[in-house]
Amino acid sequence: MKPAPTADLTSQALDRFREVNGLFPETSHILEHKRQGKKVLGWLCTYVPEEIMHAAGVLPIRITGYSHEIKPDEGNAYLYVNNCSFSRSCLQLGLRGGYDFLDGIAGGSTCDCARRLMDLWHHYIATSFYHMITVPQKYSSKAHELYYEQITQFTQHLSEFTGIEITDASLSHSIQIYNESRELLRKLYDLRKANNPPITGSEIIEISNAGFRMPKETFNEYLKNLLTNIDTSRHAYSNSRARLMLTGSILGNHEFVESIEQLGGLVVTDDLCTSTRHWYDMIEVNQDESPLRAISRRYLNNFPCARMIPHDERLKRIRDLAQGFRVDGAISQIVHNCTPYTHELSFVTKMLEAQGIPVLSLDVEYGTASSGQIQTRVQAFLEMLEGKRR
Amino acid sequence: MINLQNTSETINHLLRTFRLLQKVGRKHPEVRKHEILFYQLLEKYFTRILNAREEGNFIATHTTFMPGEILYAMDIVPMQTEWTSWILALFTKRGTDFISEGRRLGLTNEVCSAQRGIAGAFSLGTLPRPDAVIWSNLICNNIAKNGELIMEINRCPGFFLDHPLGDSAAERNYLRGEIEDMIHFLEEQTGRKMDWDHLSDSVAGTMKQIEISRQICELRKAVPSPFHPQEFMEMLTVTYLFQGQPEATEYLEMLYEDLSLSVSEGRGAVSPERFRVMSIFLSPIYRAPFLEKFSQEHGMVSVAEPIFTQWEEGKLDPTRPLDSLVQKLYMLPERSLYSPVGERTLKKIVDCAKEYKADGAIAYADVACQHTCALIKLFKDVLNDIDVPLLILDCDLVDQTVTSEEDMREKLEQFLELLEDR
Ligand code: SF4
Ligand code: SF4
Repeated sequence: MKPAPTADLTSQALDRFREVNGLFPETSHILEHKRQGKKVLGWLCTYVPEEIMHAAGVLPIRITGYSHEIKPDEGNAYLYVNNCSFSRSCLQLGLRGGYDFLDGIAGGSTCDCARRLMDLWHHYIATSFYHMITVPQKYSSKAHELYYEQITQFTQHLSEFTGIEITDASLSHSIQIYNESRELLRKLYDLRKANNPPITGSEIIEISNAGFRMPKETFNEYLKNLLTNIDTSRHAYSNSRARLMLTGSILGNHEFVESIEQLGGLVVTDDLCTSTRHWYDMIEVNQDESPLRAISRRYLNNFPCARMIPHDERLKRIRDLAQGFRVDGAISQIVHNCTPYTHELSFVTKMLEAQGIPVLSLDVEYGTASSGQIQTRVQAFLEMLEGKRR
Repeated sequence: MINLQNTSETINHLLRTFRLLQKVGRKHPEVRKHEILFYQLLEKYFTRILNAREEGNFIATHTTFMPGEILYAMDIVPMQTEWTSWILALFTKRGTDFISEGRRLGLTNEVCSAQRGIAGAFSLGTLPRPDAVIWSNLICNNIAKNGELIMEINRCPGFFLDHPLGDSAAERNYLRGEIEDMIHFLEEQTGRKMDWDHLSDSVAGTMKQIEISRQICELRKAVPSPFHPQEFMEMLTVTYLFQGQPEATEYLEMLYEDLSLSVSEGRGAVSPERFRVMSIFLSPIYRAPFLEKFSQEHGMVSVAEPIFTQWEEGKLDPTRPLDSLVQKLYMLPERSLYSPVGERTLKKIVDCAKEYKADGAIAYADVACQHTCALIKLFKDVLNDIDVPLLILDCDLVDQTVTSEEDMREKLEQFLELLEDR
């Protein structure tokens, strides 16, 4: 099944994001920022608050691996074959100079592979700025206090590095810009609740990917343009066979989603850290509290990663999404050797199946566009879902 | 035939084995005192677990780097997940069953076999059902993420102790708060109060054990070096299972005396000593007898395990037990794998190789242990700079099907040839 021909304005609006992705990893926006003498920092993991970097005049870009599947020669040699294929792909791209434009990196203690990626990056791809945030693995008030202290340190370190004072006013301004982005993405996602959504899951991944490599202000303009011009009568895919949710670890290549959608599986929502989990919660600044407090609370409480303990909140959020978007089935795609998500899979499966939502679990290489085996399994899964509906 | 699905039969089988090993040891004068004591202590540890229910005691199962001093001070029966299940696997030869059962529970090959085996052993009912699970993220994802599954299998409550990554004052304070919260959790669950005097005594015991361990490390610098490969696993087992307790102190003192005697008599663990190697990460538990034999045959001795036996500098103060437990968790040799691994850990590896006059190093690369394997290249590079070659030996800590003894032998022999040619 081919995508239906897109209305011109919609496709033009989508093409703007595609243009950014076409220049991966060093986009024209990054070059322009650098040309203005400003700094670009790479962040790794959704627990590193972008607003703080933005408030320091920095362009925060997400560190990802290649946008396609690779033979991770250096990745294997440095990180060993048993580390997740995402971290190996990132390191290889870094070792081969793909991130030479970065002035520094910031990461969090989210999982073993991410912290080792940071260790090796620091050692073998030195940058002038390096910062590691301890991200508590629970939600207690003490955990919130520690995380607040950690991002306060991060703020101070960044101020010293950039020579720019990060004030409450600048943080509030950054929060406003990032919240606007979240609101716009929510509007876009809401369109996917329709029986025949005007946008595909694959297009959503393309949009998200572009958002990681350009100034948020411009990204917001692009999103507004898309929302204004999107033809809501457009049926991104006709005759879809089932509404699907994607769950699991990081996903970089939109072609993977496209391959599922071409078989008739319409991806209407996800809990991936490269899309929903990245933008989901708004930052709400309460009266008499500092913007940094609000940032801290939001980032630790945001739609949780599989690393968080207990896992109840993540399970609840996945269930709510599945219900809200009326999904028939879920596809778990877990990057090869990603242990946090592997551990959680049996819990997610049990919970979704109790809701009558079958789960297909796929172990994939980071960046993959699909494979014959994946196609066969998705096809069989869709047939099973159709059979269930009859 | 013993029914190993049955917990008490399994433990009784273990106890009989430990008694037999003590008996055999006593009959052979060449078996040293601490070796006999080792089996005596295992017998004691498993007897407490076996009798816990009948005696109305509370069993808390806990992961490796939890401060066990707290459990002893509250008269809770500790059951250390990793070592208890490994010992079970080793002596009942059911490691493969445990691992397959873990897989059936959804823990695929990405999850290390150590943690798959633990979940499997609980699920098969081979390990006794605990009253509570206490676990932490020290030292990896696999340990952290297994806790909720163990709680579910055993339908019991649990407490997750969150270790911060770095060691700033705020992070130390957070860890202290976590320990306090864990004590409150255990008080609620058991209906017992913490015995602070007992805790102080245990902290004093731990300090004593750290001091003896440091002295043992000093003895191992001798040429020839007196420490056998099997003593490494035994020493770890005793100090992990009896944290801060007189049993561990007695064992370490005995070991120290035996080693001192060897050093004063110029006796090495192997004779003649031809190769001094440093061991990085854990060697497979079930290959300990092979490694012992191989070492004897080839004159190879492991002089140091920087990540397991080298305590960081520092002292514990029994009058401030909570602060001391925090301090202990930061001094743990294994913690150097957790903090961002940078100059300090690399320096430790290099200094160790120099101080112990290592000719080479062996990295035991457990096929599913991500955070350790990801350091091999770093360690290899820094050791290379001081001309100490590193052998990478792919293996699995628990799963015997991953590497055969022949494979290991071949690689080790090639490595020793390389060292000889230099
Ligand atoms: S969460 Fe999974 S995919 Fe992401 S860095 Fe960690 S191990 Fe890799
Ligand atoms: S083998 Fe490695 S991954 Fe498994 S529990 Fe031990 S340290 Fe963790």
